[in-house]
Amino acid sequence: MSSSGIEPESPDLVCQLDNVQGVVDALTSVRWKKQQHAVLELSEHGIVLIVEETACLQAKVYLQRELFVKYEYSAEGRPRFGVSLGLFVDCLNTFSVQGHSSAIEIRYPGPDMQLLLKSVESSDSCTYAEIRTRIPDTISWDYNFEPAGSTPLSFTVKSAALKEAIDDLEWPGSSIYLILQPSPPSVTFRGEGHGDLQIDFMCHANTDLLVAFHCDRQVSHRYKYKFLRATTSNIPSSVIRDNRGSKLTIGRGGMLKVQHLVSVAKPAIPHPHVDSSGYQQPSRIAYIEFFVKPEVDDADNANDT
Amino acid sequence: MKFKAFLTDNGVNLLDKRFLQALEKMGKICHLYLTRDHAYFLHNLLNGDGIQCIAQFRKEALFDEYRISSQNDDRISFAIDLSLLHRALHSIISVYTEFSAGDSGVPGGNSAPNRIQIKLVKKLPPHSQQPMPFLTFETKGYKSAVIQDVPISKPLSRSDVLELQAALDMAQDLPQTLIQVPAMQQLQNFVEKMKNVGDVLNVSISKYGDLHLQVSTTLITLGAEFRKLTVIGEQAQSPTEDQNLSAQSRTRIAIQRGDAMTVQVNVKHFFKSLQCQSAKPDCAFYGIAQQGSCLTVVFQFFIPGTHQTDKAISLHCRLPVLDTGSS
Repeated sequence: MSSSGIEPESPDLVCQLDNVQGVVDALTSVRWKKQQHAVLELSEHGIVLIVEETACLQAKVYLQRELFVKYEYSAEGRPRFGVSLGLFVDCLNTFSVQGHSSAIEIRYPGPDMQLLLKSVESSDSCTYAEIRTRIPDTISWDYNFEPAGSTPLSFTVKSAALKEAIDDLEWPGSSIYLILQPSPPSVTFRGEGHGDLQIDFMCHANTDLLVAFHCDRQVSHRYKYKFLRATTSNIPSSVIRDNRGSKLTIGRGGMLKVQHLVSVAKPAIPHPHVDSSGYQQPSRIAYIEFFVKPEVDDADNANDT
Repeated sequence: MKFKAFLTDNGVNLLDKRFLQALEKMGKICHLYLTRDHAYFLHNLLNGDGIQCIAQFRKEALFDEYRISSQNDDRISFAIDLSLLHRALHSIISVYTEFSAGDSGVPGGNSAPNRIQIKLVKKLPPHSQQPMPFLTFETKGYKSAVIQDVPISKPLSRSDVLELQAALDMAQDLPQTLIQVPAMQQLQNFVEKMKNVGDVLNVSISKYGDLHLQVSTTLITLGAEFRKLTVIGEQAQSPTEDQNLSAQSRTRIAIQRGDAMTVQVNVKHFFKSLQCQSAKPDCAFYGIAQQGSCLTVVFQFFIPGTHQTDKAISLHCRLPVLDTGSS
């Protein structure tokens, strides 16, 4: 980390964002409980926000530099700092209600290592925030996601359908089996707890739901329901509205990766009655990744053949 | 002790569509205070804590054939549940408008125009031996007369009424500098989100027309500054060297110069005060009372179709300060 505390004139990062709501949406999607610590990592490529829980679940939000109207990065190495996720999102949220334009400038570090936010619209009104940062206490556990063999085990499903399936599995609760099998090509979620519930996505029957499917052998892994639920509980409404898909991949040892795409496009005309869905810059997407560790016991190990 | 009047159409509209919903947000219970010339809805005037809210109507703004008498200089006051009052009024209006609409279709057939009567009565409630006071609305429907009784407290004693009048007189003092709030709805949205960040709001108001709001905790400082707002009362020319400073520095210097005051209020109180806009005022002004004793917000109502203040209606709130202002 550079010693910018002494030279406030040359901060590590000064960037400008013209769609705060998009970033609020992206960050909200990894907010699965009230008190969460997040680590922000800055680089020349953009900002990565990482949250995790009890070494079983990790989520990352990638805000690439293309999402920003201005991105001036001048640090050596990759500065990392901790913030309260809830506070950061609530704070960003206050900037997104400024009416017409909601462009803001983000700067790090401030004179006291704060994260500084400032609206950049008019000279007669200004909103600002200083968020205290922490030295991240733990090196975040490296999830080291590796493919589980030569061919990938993955499928892409409409985000809305995925969310609905996982919401429905709340009833059996506790542990959920995720089973992929090549013939007939299908994805199965099965919950056993207070009762049994099985949800099948059949590849041939649901071509509009299951967009892609890669699987050359049957696999079955078990995941804690509350972690699976965290991956979809706060999917932004824009993802559902845009009819996007989410990609799920099973890696070595049964590690599950869930990926969502959240649009951070500049709102065309901020008018509720005008359909602004026309043109969206293709690169203005925030990538969300969740990594869920499987529940492991001997029976499960035998399953991964 | 007697009170009887007819609600005018304008009065019905003012109460049902605008004021009662705003006043309900200030608190469920308020004092209704009736004098020879005015009707007041008063929140928290007799007990010290909480946001004080004073809605004042000249009798002509709400009533026709207004008759009041009491041994206490023709003044009556009692506590009333605003949500019950609103519900009763709302229901009586639906009957009244239906019948009136039917009436208008019959030319010349309208011998006695339908009206809503409001009066104070004592009645024996069901399963009770003790007569209780009610505020009663009465109107005619198609085939029936409809009566809505709203239970009220026992009328305030002579000394309580005097105390209420004294508190009301005290609460009429206006701050020396008032600034006009920009885009109320926008400010309300902003403060609503600010509530999530902290509990204590610093409000600074300068004679230059600057309004500075700030929530500050150990983890975060979040603020907004609005400049070049319309000033009523004492004002001063903004120093030119201030232009490139941060909002915090500018406010600090203005306070040092004696050109600004700052107070701390509960952010929830501030939000409530902004919710008064459901009474559809034409503009709103914030100001800090002398010695920083409270934060005052004054809502202004125009005579429809003009830019002239309607003196028959007034609404203002006083927000208790959490700490003495540092000015």
